[in-house]
Amino acid sequence: MTLDKLLSFDWGMMAPEFSIVITAILLSLIDLFMPNKVSRKPLALLGLAGIIVAIVFAVLQVGDPVGSILFDTYRFDSFALAFKLLFLVATAMIFLLALDFEGESKWAYRGEFYYLLMTALLGAMMMASSADLITLFVGLELLSISSYILAGIRKRNFHSNEAAFKYVVNGGIATAITLFGMSYIYGLTGQTNLYAISEMLVDPRVQENSFLVIMAFVMMFVGLSFKISAAPFHMWAPDVYQGSPTPVTTFLSVVSKMAGFTLILRLFFVIFLGTQGWHNQILLDAQPFIAFVAGATMVIGNVVALRQRNIKRMFAYSSIAHAGYVLVPFVSLSLIVFKTTWFYLLAYLLMNIGAFAVIQFVTSREKSEDFTAFSGLNKRAPLTAFMMAIFIISLAGLPFTAGFIGKFGIFMSSLGTGHYILASVMIATTVVSYVYYFNVMVQIYFRKGAGNRIRPTAGLAVVMVICTIGTLLFGIYPSLALDFFQSGFDINDLFTPSE
Amino acid sequence: MNPLIWIIPVLPLLSFVLLLLFGRRLKEASAHVGALLTLGSLVLSIVVLLNQWGGEPVKETLSWLTFGETTLSAGYLVNPLNALMLVIVSLVSFLVQVYSGGYMHDDDRFPIFFAYLGLFTFAMLGLVLSPNLLQLYVFWELVGVGSFLLIGYYFYKREARSAAKKAFIMTRIGDVGLFIGMILLFWQVGSFEFDEIFAAVEAGEISEGWITLTAILIFVGAIGKSGQFPLHTWLPDAMEGPTPVSALIHAATMVAAGVYLVAAMFPLFQASEAALTTVAVVGGFTAIFAATIGLAQADIKRVLAYSTVSQLGYMMLALGSSGYVAGVFHLTTHAFFKALLFLAAGSVIHAVHTQNIHEMGGLWKKMKWTAPLFLIGAMAISGVPGLSGFFSKDEILAATYADGRFGLFWIAVIAAFLTAFYMFRLFFLVFTGESRGIQEKVKESPVSMTFPMIVLGILALIGGLINTPFATYLSDFLAQNEALEIHHHETRWWIPVVATGVSLLGILMAWLVYVKKKVTRFSESAPDLHYILLNKYFIDETYDYSFVKGTRALSYFWYYIDRFVVEGLVGLVTGIVGWFSKIGSRFQNGQVQLYSSVAFAGMAILLLVVAWIGGYLT
Repeated sequence: MTLDKLLSFDWGMMAPEFSIVITAILLSLIDLFMPNKVSRKPLALLGLAGIIVAIVFAVLQVGDPVGSILFDTYRFDSFALAFKLLFLVATAMIFLLALDFEGESKWAYRGEFYYLLMTALLGAMMMASSADLITLFVGLELLSISSYILAGIRKRNFHSNEAAFKYVVNGGIATAITLFGMSYIYGLTGQTNLYAISEMLVDPRVQENSFLVIMAFVMMFVGLSFKISAAPFHMWAPDVYQGSPTPVTTFLSVVSKMAGFTLILRLFFVIFLGTQGWHNQILLDAQPFIAFVAGATMVIGNVVALRQRNIKRMFAYSSIAHAGYVLVPFVSLSLIVFKTTWFYLLAYLLMNIGAFAVIQFVTSREKSEDFTAFSGLNKRAPLTAFMMAIFIISLAGLPFTAGFIGKFGIFMSSLGTGHYILASVMIATTVVSYVYYFNVMVQIYFRKGAGNRIRPTAGLAVVMVICTIGTLLFGIYPSLALDFFQSGFDINDLFTPSE
Repeated sequence: MNPLIWIIPVLPLLSFVLLLLFGRRLKEASAHVGALLTLGSLVLSIVVLLNQWGGEPVKETLSWLTFGETTLSAGYLVNPLNALMLVIVSLVSFLVQVYSGGYMHDDDRFPIFFAYLGLFTFAMLGLVLSPNLLQLYVFWELVGVGSFLLIGYYFYKREARSAAKKAFIMTRIGDVGLFIGMILLFWQVGSFEFDEIFAAVEAGEISEGWITLTAILIFVGAIGKSGQFPLHTWLPDAMEGPTPVSALIHAATMVAAGVYLVAAMFPLFQASEAALTTVAVVGGFTAIFAATIGLAQADIKRVLAYSTVSQLGYMMLALGSSGYVAGVFHLTTHAFFKALLFLAAGSVIHAVHTQNIHEMGGLWKKMKWTAPLFLIGAMAISGVPGLSGFFSKDEILAATYADGRFGLFWIAVIAAFLTAFYMFRLFFLVFTGESRGIQEKVKESPVSMTFPMIVLGILALIGGLINTPFATYLSDFLAQNEALEIHHHETRWWIPVVATGVSLLGILMAWLVYVKKKVTRFSESAPDLHYILLNKYFIDETYDYSFVKGTRALSYFWYYIDRFVVEGLVGLVTGIVGWFSKIGSRFQNGQVQLYSSVAFAGMAILLLVVAWIGGYLT
């Protein structure tokens, strides 16, 4: 590749990614030359500023036509942008959580923490934009490797070490499975570009081997189910979530998971729908398989959550269950899937980050991660207790919250396409989930707790308030978000190969 | 969005919130907060009404929820009918709040009372402004909640508690009908919006049978809310609430909501002759049925309550006879004179501390304002020529006759006679003759109570002039709504004469019986009949022995089913779930190799299943 060619790409489209890269580099350089004893707080603020700049660039791109760079390996379409916005907003809030997490003295390597969060975010954004198996894999690994280190960043903490170890081992296996699946695809089609693969799939020579294609499909799906912590690759999540520092747990359960969904949507929809439309035989064959995975994930997540006493573990299972819900629209196979998934992820982002903010607040003040740490929270911090109640109601999917609207949309999408069994599993497991969600609620409102009034720090308070407002606003007036998605993002351009 | 309009219901809501938050500190100043904010709504409503006069209907909506092809919206709709309703509701609510400032004086939960009034007014105004059935239904239920709270305001009285419960349950029975009708309409039309439903009806997209079915189901909702036979029994019991509440809820607003619903959905009803006949027959029957019960009651408020049921029957009769204007007109005038009568009755009760009319008497001289105002109300409702009730009742009779419902016409005439008789029985027993049992000194009520009565008195006097045979302002105004076909029917010259005749005859009879005592009271001449009427045809007892006792017996049966069968099953289910949960968490043993094995095993099983389902194994 000549320099001229390299310069001829429209790099301006990458402005949000560049903001993140530049901020990450700046952060690592500053951290390198900063004296050890100096507070790393300004680094977090710098990181936050970088993300906000990226959000501004991303918002300015809304409505732009489809573009691509680097020989169609990296695409800028509405699909990528819509999900990137979610990643950026979520990571910005996680920075605020990180600011508050534990005292400076207790926790060295804080500088690393900030720029690793940046690179993980960059990985997620690459996953949203990739149109080629190779860039896609690079993005996935950038996110994964950054996350491994983040999980173990409290080097001297036993749980943190355990979390990082389990995460690496399981992540490695997942990567191997995914790559193995991809290798089949490459072997069959000789292409790495998703659109080219899609065209090759109708080739008779490939069609004869459709069994291999569907095996590749299953393997890639199982490998990627690691990222979204869906069955059968969910077992790492409780241990890792419990051991990681709470802001990292939040990142894993929100951003990393959203990135996984984005990747799954793009990979499978472009490859299998691109040239063949909705009646693709392979996708139709795979439908019961995905339905089974979704159902199993909902059941495992919600049922096992019942017995958890550690609040972070409980929320790990809850997050497994939510992955199951989000897989439901994927079964229904229609264009609605993007809208319902996006909205659900938005709602999930708000309620889950909000809940983790409260969890971080309570567990750090009480020095306990047992769910009884929440007892009597209503007396000690009434406003925080109220906000936690809203997040719980939303996670449980009760009306007037974003979680309800999201779940309702998913439910309707499965009913509308005749997946009655899946819809009933969803309802049944939702009812089960009330038990553990409302256990926390009972602790907050009906159990007596000891201790004085406690007050969240400014950063936490901002996150909680934003999440509460968002949860209620999109619950009462969901059109605000849905219309934004509908008018700003033409999802059809996911399928238009760029020139 | 026109802030002028949507702020109308927001002001009473604000009053509710403010009084709930700061009521304790405001104490009796709460009345000022409530009344002033409602006055704001009233002023805005009048402006909206004036804008509507000759103006275009306004409808603005925001899409609220979209799934698939369907969009649910929320917003507001202003057309002549609901502009008129806005004024009636906010006017009566304002006057009632002023009145309550005096009436509820020294009550312990004074601010809460006004907070409830604010909530109720908000719900009622929201109901009137709704542009679609779904939003209407939400506010409809909210009105139910408001009335539940207000009727049960004296919750320490057992009667008040059970009356509130009864009102809520009886109207809920009707609401189920409304709900089913609404869902069926949505299923047929694909929209909750009034205009889209009417357009579909007009275009003939819904079959005749469906129109009749949905219209009658919606009417069932109206039966519950407007206290029509057979769901009327809650209304007289609801008199356990404070008297101003009776004036607000049981004269002008909540009970009128049923009539309003039929009027608002009128194009649907018009499309089905059977539905109209149902409305007319239920209305006509209720009119005479409740009037006969009113003859024998001894509680001043209960007489008024049965009179309300009977008058609402009149309105339904009018609507069922295609007399849209007549129905709405009577709704308007009735709001004025019935609110006046309730407030005047409250003033009497406030002064003598009893509700039994046989213990009153001779109050004419002692209550210089209340007595003449009550007389105006009684004359208006009896249809004395020149007063508001005369014109609207005449319009109803004319509409019924013009529609060819002669049987119902004569029933309505007889009911008019009965109305005049029992109203003046009430008047003569309370205000004339000698006091029968009141020992203490009777004082006229304070200005805060007489002022609202005077305003309503003036309206009851002249309110009829908005639609006389010579100047049909209201009719022309309502005819602006193009969705309606409004029939103009010639008033036959003899109808007003007959109406006047029966009304004066009724008054004369009452005078002969209760003042001159020339004619023996029918409690003496026909004691059996009197006994039946006094006990309201034993409808309550019938319900008690059939539905209530029946339900109770059934509930015992289900209780045991629930206790042993259902709970057993539930126990089984929770046991199984808990067991799985236990297994699941045991399985999670912390070993990485297990986690990976599960992933591999899962993948292997999935591959096998996919291969099997996809038929690749053969």
